[in-house]
Order: sequence, then C-alpha cells, then structure tokens
Amino acid sequence: MGRKTKISLTEPELIQAIQNKDKIGAEALYDMYSSSLYGVIYRIVLHEEIAEDLLQETFIRIWNSFSSYDTSRGKLFTWMVNIARNIAIDKTRSKDFRNSSKTENIENNVLSIEGNFQSEMNPETLGLKELVEKLKPDQKMVLDLVYYKGYTHVEVAEQLEIPLGTVKTRLRNAIITLRKVFN
Amino acid sequence: MKDLKTYLESGILEQYVLGDLSKDEMLEVERYVVQYPEIRRELEEIENALQKYAQQNAIEPSVRNRSKIIDALEIPGNKNEVPVKQIEKASGTTKFYKYAFAASLSLLFISIILLINLNNKLRESYTQIAVLESGNQKFSNQVNYIENELTEAKNTLQYYRNPASYKLITLKGSEKAPDARVTLAFNPDREEVMIDMSNLKMPSNDNEHQYQLWAIVDGKPVDLGVFDSGSSTAGMKKMKSVKSAEAFAVTLEPRGGSISPSLEQMMAMGNI
Repeated sequence: MGRKTKISLTEPELIQAIQNKDKIGAEALYDMYSSSLYGVIYRIVLHEEIAEDLLQETFIRIWNSFSSYDTSRGKLFTWMVNIARNIAIDKTRSKDFRNSSKTENIENNVLSIEGNFQSEMNPETLGLKELVEKLKPDQKMVLDLVYYKGYTHVEVAEQLEIPLGTVKTRLRNAIITLRKVFN
Repeated sequence: MKDLKTYLESGILEQYVLGDLSKDEMLEVERYVVQYPEIRRELEEIENALQKYAQQNAIEPSVRNRSKIIDALEIPGNKNEVPVKQIEKASGTTKFYKYAFAASLSLLFISIILLINLNNKLRESYTQIAVLESGNQKFSNQVNYIENELTEAKNTLQYYRNPASYKLITLKGSEKAPDARVTLAFNPDREEVMIDMSNLKMPSNDNEHQYQLWAIVDGKPVDLGVFDSGSSTAGMKKMKSVKSAEAFAVTLEPRGGSISPSLEQMMAMGNI
C-alpha cells in the first residue's frame, strides 16, 4: 500500500480506539509508537530479526491485555515501554538467546549503539541530539543500564561497583537533565 | 508524608516509571500520586522525559512489519476472526479431552473391577478343576487296580483250567500253623512252579522274616525262592524252576532266605 501519512490520535482517542478494538486503534498504535518501542527493543537484543519478532509480541500483548492498563497509574507510553522492555529483557536472559549471541561486555553494548544509529534518528527530535549529549557519561551509563539492559538499581550498583544511593542520584540527575532538554 | 521534597528527590518516582519497584512500593506511589498534585506533576515530567528519550533513540522498523503486526492483532469483524476461532476450537478440544480423560478413567476402574472378579472366578475354576482331576485320578487308579486284579484272576484261572499241564498241589499247615494253606501250580514239562497268592493262607510274616519254598527232590530240599504273606498280593507268583519233586514245603526263614531249611520252622507241607 505504501501509506505515506501515518495515523495519529490524541492519547485519550487512542486509548478509546484500542479499548473498542477498532482497526484504526491498531494502526494508530503502530504508527505512533512502533519506532520508539523498536528502538528500545533493538538496543536490548541487538539483533534485527529477533527485535522484529519481539516488537510483534509486544504489540500483541499490549492489544490483548489492554484492560489491565489504568490511566490513573501513568502515561500509556510508560506502560507500553515497560511491556516492551520486559519482553526483550526476558529474551536476552533466555537460554537460546544466550547461546546464539556472544556475551559481550554490557558496557560496550550500551556504548556501541550510539555510533550505529545516530544517522537514523527521528528527524523531529534530531535537533535535540546535541542537548542529549549534555548527559554526563556516568549518568547516561546508569540510565542505559536500567533502561536498555533491564538492570535493577541494585544490579547496577553491583555492576559498576558504586553505592546504591549513587545509582539513584545519577539516575535522577540523568532524568532531570533530560527534562531540561525536552521542556 | 513527612517531607515532600525528600520524597521527590529519593528517586522512587524514577524507579516507579522504570518498573523497578515492588508491588507494595508501587501501590504506595499510586496512593501519593492521587493525594499530592506535586507528585503527580513530577511523575508526569519524568514519564515525558523518558518518552522523549525513547523517541529520540527511536529506530524505524522495516515497512513490512506494519501490516504483519496489525494483522496479528485481533480486531473483531475483520479478517482476523481466524485466531478467535482457533482459540474457541482449542478450548473445545480441551473440553473434549477433559471428558475423554474422565471417561477413560471410569472405564479403567470398571475394567479393574471386572478383572478382579474374573480373576476370582478363574481361581475358583482352577480349584474345581483340581478337585475333579483328583477324583478322576482316583477313578482311573481304581480302574487300573481292577484291571490288574482282573488280569491276575484270569491268569490264575488259566492254571486251574489246565489240569493237564499244571498240577495243583495244596500244602497243608503244620502243627505251628494248623490253618495255613498254600496252593501251588507245578508244570514239570516247563519246569514252572507258581504260588497262587490270591489263595494264600499263611500268618503274616514280619520285616525280618520271609517264607521260603522248598522242593523235596530225592529226599533233599531244593530252594525255590522266598515270598511274603500279608501284603496285598494277588495272582500267581513264579518261583525258581525245578524239574521234579516228591514234595513241597514252606519254612519261615530270616529275610532273604536260607541255604538249608530250618526244619523247626516248618509251616506247611504237601506231597505231589
């Protein structure tokens, strides 16, 4: 079909459409969030084919368990991205995945992503690139370990051999930096 | 809430957004979000920041994924009814298997009960067969016994019917055994001497002694062998050969017999 325009709805409209199981809800859901979710999934599994399968799994789970999403608990994206992260992180911890991919140093993985994908970044946010680079490397490291590796705060502390309090502070500062950048 | 600022700076809201809290901690955050607008605002800003971060790191999946994934979502009244049907079918199958399982189980129980029953009956039958067989055995033993008796009787009869060839000699009891009587059949031509055991009347001998038959030839005793009295004996007992004799005598001797007769143990005697 080669659809040029992507469907976009407001968040309440989208939620209503998904609840009604309307086709437009499925299309808007995909068009609005597939690239963000795929970016998260890809950075976790670092394998195109697996990431595509997991993206489908993520959308199916979002679609089928949508009744468990509660607007009072937070934004739709927060709920969805946690589903995507959980699915992808579960995959990386499964036996077949670990057998198929070499266990590389985690820090290298996180850092190596940047070089590969900067050119494909969402044009709308491209101007923010420099701003994001304001993230201090140690803040970014903590944020990416949690966000893209599924580490708990305790695991990050162990991995980087820093106190748990420091992990929380760095993570908070990283997010504060992001907030300044995006607002 | 002791100190809102401390709470906001504790990092717990960031953990909440990243899904790194226990169920209880999450419920606490959700309670505070409803109670404190400051917390709600803070939470929304954290969510927005992370969403923007994800958007900024977004990667466009290849185009073919779009229709594939949208088709994989169950949309009622669309072509996507197939998976729904499959689910119904699957649950129907499960139901069928449930019933089938229950049915198999009851069949198994019934089979086991029948099997136990049959086994008991089989055992009874075996006992009955054993009883019948032992009865049968008894009968056939009796028949055999009677047949033997009959054969012996026929043989014996043959000697009595043939006075030309067999001389019948009756040995009468001595003073020691006045009632004793032994009947012999003697055929000088064939040099045969037989004792008619069925017609034997002698006191029973014990285990240490046996009766010994002698022929008196030219006034001298000739050993013709030993025999017992008292046990179930029938028919004609063939003794050792002798050509001629003037008389026959029976003495009681130690078991196995003696070389020469103990005359004081003379039990019966008879002339030809």
